[in-house]
Amino acid sequence: MTVLLAVLVVGVGSVLFRLIPLLSSGRLPEGLTQAAGWAGLAVVAAISVRSVLQLHDASIPGAPVVAALSVTAGLVLAFRGGSVLVAVGVGGAAYLIISAAMAALT
Amino acid sequence: MSDTLSTAALSTTVAGARSDESQADLRAGARAMVPIVLAYAPLGLLVGAHVASSANPFAAWLSTWLIYGGAAQLAVLDVLAHGSGWVSAAIVRLLVNLRLAAFATAMHPEWRSAPVRLRAAAAVMLTDAPWVVARNRAHGRQRYYLGAAVALFVVWPLLVSVGVLVGGRLDTVPVASLLLPLTLGAVVVPQLRQRPAAVAMVAASCSAAVTMQLSAGVALALAGLVGGMAAVITERVS
Repeated sequence: MTVLLAVLVVGVGSVLFRLIPLLSSGRLPEGLTQAAGWAGLAVVAAISVRSVLQLHDASIPGAPVVAALSVTAGLVLAFRGGSVLVAVGVGGAAYLIISAAMAALT
Repeated sequence: MSDTLSTAALSTTVAGARSDESQADLRAGARAMVPIVLAYAPLGLLVGAHVASSANPFAAWLSTWLIYGGAAQLAVLDVLAHGSGWVSAAIVRLLVNLRLAAFATAMHPEWRSAPVRLRAAAAVMLTDAPWVVARNRAHGRQRYYLGAAVALFVVWPLLVSVGVLVGGRLDTVPVASLLLPLTLGAVVVPQLRQRPAAVAMVAASCSAAVTMQLSAGVALALAGLVGGMAAVITERVS
């Protein structure tokens, strides 16, 4: 029951977040829409950073540092024009290789 | 008479060309999502695994459409699985999903004159990846966005459903936790070429690092605020 309630509240709220600005017929100030775009990008970046810093992996010491290095490797490729798939593949592979190397050393 | 006919023929040709262009934009948007959807596949399976292990798998599965966002869906299920009450789970995730209001507000100027049903469809399918990929598009952005959004809207629930059946083992693979930052980061990182966007993302990243101990909802709302303000200041100064 609690799962259903949480899903319904978050779901309905999320749909309203999407619908209200797009269905409003009035003209929104240009500064507001521009700032909203930047804030949206900022939150997406923050989600990525937070996920990396909170990574838990008991099998290697300093897992967040290894994760940060691996994600950086993938994102550098994406910034230079690589596809998302390549970035994810390289980042994931980098994490596995560094983890294996650290496990072998310790 | 011949003038009328040639004007009509010209109108038909222009309308036809526009229709072809629209179709091409739609297809280009869907194509742009192919690598992203493939990269999202393990994340979808992971979300499916969490759905399967939830106290109410059917309600959790319904959230695939209602919440429609891997990170938020995963987080709601995690918060509930760790015994927190539904009210705190809901508040945290609503704050996380507040970014959708920012996305929709940013889309408003381009979509204001579109038919209501199209705007509603665009809103219902709105999430991170289609919004960001459409921001990079110079022309035909509406159709491009719709192509991208429909592609993800169709495939994502399928991935989660497959994950319900076979995704159980993914949760124990540490690299699975990296899929979300890698995928979202790779989608958004090309925006670093625009100075205000770069400032927004760097400021938000610093904010996320500093506020790591806070709950996700508060930390991300703060990051959005800090990033947005930093970008506005950069724009005004330059």
